[in-house]
Amino acid sequence: MSTTVAPEKVAVPQKGWAGRSVPRKEDKRLVQGDGVFVDDVKRHGMGYLHFVRSPYAHAHIASIDVSKAEEIGGVYGTLTGEEVAALTDPFFQISSAPGANIKDYALAVGKVRYVGEPVVAVVAETRELARDASELVEVAYEPLPAVTDARRAQDEDAPVLHEDAGGNLMWTGVYEWGDVDGAFAEADKVVSISELHFHRFNSTPLETDGAVVEYNRGVGQWTIHCNNQFPGFAAIMMGPAIGCGLDKLRFVTQDIGGGFGNKITSHPQLVVCCLLARKLNRPINWTEWRTDFHLSMSHGNERYFRDTEVAVAEDGTLLGFRTKALDDAGAWLRYEPLGGVIWAQVVPGMYRWRHVKLEFTQVATNKAPVSPNRGYSRMQHLWFTERVIDIVAHELGLDPVEVRKRNYVRADEMPYTTPNGCVYDSGDYAQMLDVALGLVAYDSLEERRRDAERRGKLLGVGIGSTLDSGTNNFGQSRLINPELQFSGNNEVATVKLDIFGEIVVTLGTTPQGQGHETTAAQVVADILGCSIDDVHVRAGHDDYWNSHAGFSGTYASQFAVTGLTAVKGATELLAAEIRKLGSVILGSPEEALELAEGTVRIADNPEAALPFMACGAIINANNAGLPEDLDVTLNCRYVYRPPFEMPDVERKYGNLTLTYAAQVHVAVIEVDPETGAYEVVDYAAVDDCGKRINPQIVEGQVMGATAQAIGAAMHEIFEYDEEGNLLTPNFYDYHVPHALDMPPLRTGAIESPSPFTELGTKGMGEGGGAGIHAICAAVQDALRGHGDAVVWDSHNPYHRVWELLQHPEKSRGRVSVS
Amino acid sequence: METASSQPVSVTVNGTSYERDVEARKLLIHFIRDDLDLTGSHIGCDTGNCGACSVIVNGTLVKSCMMLAVQADGAAIETVEGLADNGELNALQRAFSEQHALQCGYCTPGMLMSATALLRENPSPSEAEIKKGLQGNICRCTGYWNIFEAVKAVAK
Amino acid sequence: MLLREVEYAKPSSVSEALDLLAANDGARALAGGQTLLNVMKARAASPDALIDLNGLEELAGIELAADGTLTIGAMTTYAEVIGSAEAKARPILGEVCATIADVQVRNRGTIGGNICSNDPTNHLPPLMAAVGARMTIAGANVMEREVAAEEFFLGVYLTAVGPGELLTRITIPAGKGDGFAAVTLGADGTCIVSAAASVGDGVRVALGCVDAVPVVLQPESAEEDAVRAAVAGAGLQPPADVHASSEYRAHLAEVLAVRAARQAAERA
Repeated sequence: MSTTVAPEKVAVPQKGWAGRSVPRKEDKRLVQGDGVFVDDVKRHGMGYLHFVRSPYAHAHIASIDVSKAEEIGGVYGTLTGEEVAALTDPFFQISSAPGANIKDYALAVGKVRYVGEPVVAVVAETRELARDASELVEVAYEPLPAVTDARRAQDEDAPVLHEDAGGNLMWTGVYEWGDVDGAFAEADKVVSISELHFHRFNSTPLETDGAVVEYNRGVGQWTIHCNNQFPGFAAIMMGPAIGCGLDKLRFVTQDIGGGFGNKITSHPQLVVCCLLARKLNRPINWTEWRTDFHLSMSHGNERYFRDTEVAVAEDGTLLGFRTKALDDAGAWLRYEPLGGVIWAQVVPGMYRWRHVKLEFTQVATNKAPVSPNRGYSRMQHLWFTERVIDIVAHELGLDPVEVRKRNYVRADEMPYTTPNGCVYDSGDYAQMLDVALGLVAYDSLEERRRDAERRGKLLGVGIGSTLDSGTNNFGQSRLINPELQFSGNNEVATVKLDIFGEIVVTLGTTPQGQGHETTAAQVVADILGCSIDDVHVRAGHDDYWNSHAGFSGTYASQFAVTGLTAVKGATELLAAEIRKLGSVILGSPEEALELAEGTVRIADNPEAALPFMACGAIINANNAGLPEDLDVTLNCRYVYRPPFEMPDVERKYGNLTLTYAAQVHVAVIEVDPETGAYEVVDYAAVDDCGKRINPQIVEGQVMGATAQAIGAAMHEIFEYDEEGNLLTPNFYDYHVPHALDMPPLRTGAIESPSPFTELGTKGMGEGGGAGIHAICAAVQDALRGHGDAVVWDSHNPYHRVWELLQHPEKSRGRVSVS
Repeated sequence: METASSQPVSVTVNGTSYERDVEARKLLIHFIRDDLDLTGSHIGCDTGNCGACSVIVNGTLVKSCMMLAVQADGAAIETVEGLADNGELNALQRAFSEQHALQCGYCTPGMLMSATALLRENPSPSEAEIKKGLQGNICRCTGYWNIFEAVKAVAK
Repeated sequence: MLLREVEYAKPSSVSEALDLLAANDGARALAGGQTLLNVMKARAASPDALIDLNGLEELAGIELAADGTLTIGAMTTYAEVIGSAEAKARPILGEVCATIADVQVRNRGTIGGNICSNDPTNHLPPLMAAVGARMTIAGANVMEREVAAEEFFLGVYLTAVGPGELLTRITIPAGKGDGFAAVTLGADGTCIVSAAASVGDGVRVALGCVDAVPVVLQPESAEEDAVRAAVAGAGLQPPADVHASSEYRAHLAEVLAVRAARQAAERA
């Protein structure tokens, strides 16, 4: 059942901590500048690392000479690709052939394949010296032609990035469910769209990547202070490459300045740091500058959807679609080609069509390597389904609200099994749409449109609905490569009661602002019957806490499920142990005991209470005379494993994600028809992430995702010229929205608890790009009657809007109805 | 007068005096973070756009990545570390927490300094004035709306 | 992000500053630093020495003469222009300065710096051309010469200020009939195209971002048709980049010229 709730800002006193917007524990240190971000970590004698990067998109490396750099006083040493190739094995490739054959090392070996690719590392006494010395490194290149358009990457004469793969094709697969041919035969109308394009951008976290890496020679172990947000993945990649056990890689994170998925694939740079820490016998500081990040780190998947055909019934019911997705992976497969299956978590988007065929092809191009970006691969696909429904409505003269409600999966169909066996757990999309429309006073929009017209502006309103699928089943990786040995998921938490009554929690997660210390404390406090002020959650991640598992990290919208259920599990174990101990000490059966006010006590006689401090003291320091079989340590560890089956690789069928949060946005824009410039004048965002442990925190995530989506829709793009030069390599040209760019925002929420999670929560945070979908629809709506252009690209800066106004026929030429 | 590639620099930061020999090329933000070990001010870009390095120099809000340390010789500098009083958060810091105006906290020091400068000059800013005053500080997590609320909560 | 080695000096007079510039071929004046330091971070340019003009009284201040002429010291910051009662005599100055970058930049960045860096996307070059500003340049022995805006802007990053010289002040005649229109990258962002207009003794329109230097037009009137004709007659071939094609820039120039001229006429 779904209930509409008003977002609450102020904590309302009530029994229990879950559901309250308590101020965050993290804030005290962060507002004082006392956070510890990776560049704040200092080690005596550390060397500062600077990467020499490729100025060419594609070139042979003819020679490298570091001698002049190494001669400078204060330069500690260098590392080249040749050394890396001698000291390490290529990184494990997720892909099956042909992508499986590429050889990816931590530095370029033999060739460079994108502008900004690290070629040599220089380490020196100061940052400035490392930078200066890097200019003395001599690299001779033999430039090669570059391929920058994914649509050209498989041409006969296309330059080939990876000879070992025999071409630029990295992975391809065909997905088909239902009876696609039948659906098209039955259709009253077929809407064909020649090409849609989702552009390349990312979330540009304000803190870039970085690390301080130390090597302990005696035990052969590295301590990697970093801001990598998925240490489980980094370790699996780095260990085999370096040739060490994963116990030799200790990841430590504390405060991370934003991740959004973009801090998952720093493992090549971390390997360089490890090798240099060992070679030079000193700690290594790597700071990535903004330009470095833009050039080389984690661009989001750029994807074309070609030859799309949509089967529609007369009444506007969507029956099915066919499309060919062409994904541009950039120069290396760092987390790819998982994007080739992850989209399938949301095959039908929010809609009830049953017949789908999608051919997915991923190619390499001479651009920065792609890797997860907020909404990873689902956002691209959900944008596609939203574009489709919006264009279908546009072309067939259907009401965009009506057609969505007709086609949305209905609340009474939940849990809903999609054509490929994913299970949408709960949700009421139609209700969310109503709430969103109400927030922008949709009924009075025609009046606003006329008012805008009087001022010479074109008003447009657009709906963007999206899903935030959370908690992956990593078994979906087998749909990419059946040989992979990954499946399921997990997260770990430990909770202990210490000598003086401290309740200490450790997590395996790597939060970058999601407030894990606070929400975890809320869950613990509810179970133990104490105050959240009594619960101390350790900041960040440290492998030494032994509180992590193979999939530990913070990515893919899952903490509220994986992290918090692990916390719940560990706390319940602790609570049971406290009761056991209380039973012995108080001489009362366990069932008669309760945990309240920081004590374990007899429910009917609260005076008979054992404070937590006493419990901790007894077990740790005063335990003589306790029953021999008393199985109580007050230090409990729990591994949460979501209930997943192995997907059927043959049929590409099975549940790929545990929970499905949803968002529905409505954007109202005003376009200046003389210039194509436009602004967002009103905006509504409604979300449903199931039970909300801390409403203010989840609302903050929705807001942040909204701002990022608006930025991506209007301004942000990683655009390359034909030679492979990035035209937006920093914040000067890559415009990220600031305070003056923000429209008014109205938010709403409903809560449809997940039946599949112990807390009723759903993972959320990525947001699925609803803002992009909404703004695309708003632009198309604004241009209705002024050429009726069709919006076909996710990126609509002023020049594109102007182009759509000037030459609507070019966009209209992409669509036909039969 | 001669030019010099380095010179002694005396500054007061949050009331404490420091004297260091500094290379002329060193940016003020690097001086504050690396030489003075005040790592509360952050670096988020390399083109002067993001504002994470914002500090107050002689009463004026500046981006410390676009000043040389030697240019701050003799100046009184205020950074985020000077806002709280012995661990007691000031009203603005408390409001940021109450309004959930920070998530990862990376932009927060610069944002607090910009808000501080704004409120000193204009104790009762309108929302439009708040937006204008914070325009030079990029945040990727919050979307800014809660930050506006935090400043409003402290405004008179 | 990290500058190359550089020498530094902070002269206490314009004369001393000029001596230092003359003595060192590779020396550059450091004004607000809001552009130059970024250029140096990128190592796109690395002067041998920086001559810090901050604090030079001779380059500060805004004076309003009885006849309405404004004299603005080159080291006046955008913030000082915005807050200046004198500068309100020509309101467009403060209005445009208030849209440049952000608070932090406006607190350090200077009028002189904006004019002398002459980045084609800068706001002030076209504005100075439109209002008929005259730049005073000091050379050896503090000998001064005045250059009209039309002759001041010579090329991308290139002005009439030569080696060993400094822009000391900008003189702006009296007037109120001014307009400015721009399409920017985000609110108050970098200009994609800008147009400044002035109506008084005739009509002057100056276009920014469409060429290496502001393109100055003198339409027959501030009426839309006349302005469009003047822009068309200029035969613009603006640069293309990630934000705009050449064709789009040319189109924006026309639209913005009309808007700036209309605003100027309304205020005249």
